[in-house]
Amino acid sequence: MKNKILPGVLLAALAATTAQAHFQLLYTPEAALKESAAVPLALVFSHPFDSGFTMDMGKPEAFYVISQRGDAAPKTTDLMQYLEPIKWAGADSKGAAYIAHPPRSVTRSLGDYTYVLRPAPYYEKSEDKYIQQITKTMVNIGGLPGGWDEPLKLPVEIVPLDKPYANWVGGVFRAVVMSGGKPVPHAEIEIEYLNHEPQIDARQFDPAAKATAPQESFSTLSIRADAMGQVIIGLPKAGWWGICALNLDDHLKYKGKELSLDAVLWVKATDMSR
Amino acid sequence: MKRRTLALLLLPLALAAGMVAHAHNAICSCFENDDGTVTCEGGFSDGGKAVGVPLQVLDQAGKVLVEGVMDKESSFKFNRPKVAFRVKFNAGEGHIITIDGRDIEK
Repeated sequence: MKNKILPGVLLAALAATTAQAHFQLLYTPEAALKESAAVPLALVFSHPFDSGFTMDMGKPEAFYVISQRGDAAPKTTDLMQYLEPIKWAGADSKGAAYIAHPPRSVTRSLGDYTYVLRPAPYYEKSEDKYIQQITKTMVNIGGLPGGWDEPLKLPVEIVPLDKPYANWVGGVFRAVVMSGGKPVPHAEIEIEYLNHEPQIDARQFDPAAKATAPQESFSTLSIRADAMGQVIIGLPKAGWWGICALNLDDHLKYKGKELSLDAVLWVKATDMSR
Repeated sequence: MKRRTLALLLLPLALAAGMVAHAHNAICSCFENDDGTVTCEGGFSDGGKAVGVPLQVLDQAGKVLVEGVMDKESSFKFNRPKVAFRVKFNAGEGHIITIDGRDIEK
């Protein structure tokens, strides 16, 4: 672990001018729906704070939703059939991405819906390695909770300790980084605010930013999990916040190259208003 | 785990008390199935089940068309009436939810 960190820090220092975090988006506009509705989704691999370079996604290895109403048995619905390949526009580039419009019947019941995306590994030329970010986004219908706090037995994942869809602005969000079902002490974490709201119909990020970073360190917030693998982040602004735990499995290879297996969780913060 | 144990402990109590023991919000939602039946699902905002909660389907005059209780899956299924109707989910005082049939879609 320690050996890994040092070269990482050096590389990051060398690349300081272009330091941006890759983030797998699994976006839907609303996280907490009052009642059942069709949930549209956008799957984009990008740099969400500055709407920077949009990377080409390959066909996902898996895309499904696990739903649970109260403590009834969880149900898995495969969503691969709803994937529609598109070109998604960021501020200065277009990249291969996907949108999906599963029908209302998929989200007809009350409860928690955890969308899971296992994208194809992405070859990052500048680092000569592959990146694969297993991503979760949660939606709740009707206020009846389900299995939001349960690990989903993914190879790597960020398991919430707070409901990712029910957070006030100004609150904190807690989660545990897991690899192979075990917490990852001191895991390397990146946090980014989804600063350019995705516009699914227009297949682009809103060109207007919601916030400005005073300096590069603020675009991607880099933190560490604690000794128990727990992460706590503040939520200072309404919208989606991405948490990414990097390189959770040290020895993975893909096509003869290093594979960074990352876990992403999206959290929504909501303004208190009248 | 803890929640499940608690629910198991509370369930008989809640049933004995006619489902008024919950200090949480009642939630009920209905949708139409492909075969023309309607399914209503219930529960509580703490994730609690609505097993045994009575449910009535009423016409505009308030006449009972169908009635029953939520099953072990906290749901209740009935044939969609030909006339205008509303669904009344009755989990006790302060926990009554009425849904207009016109709002029940596929």
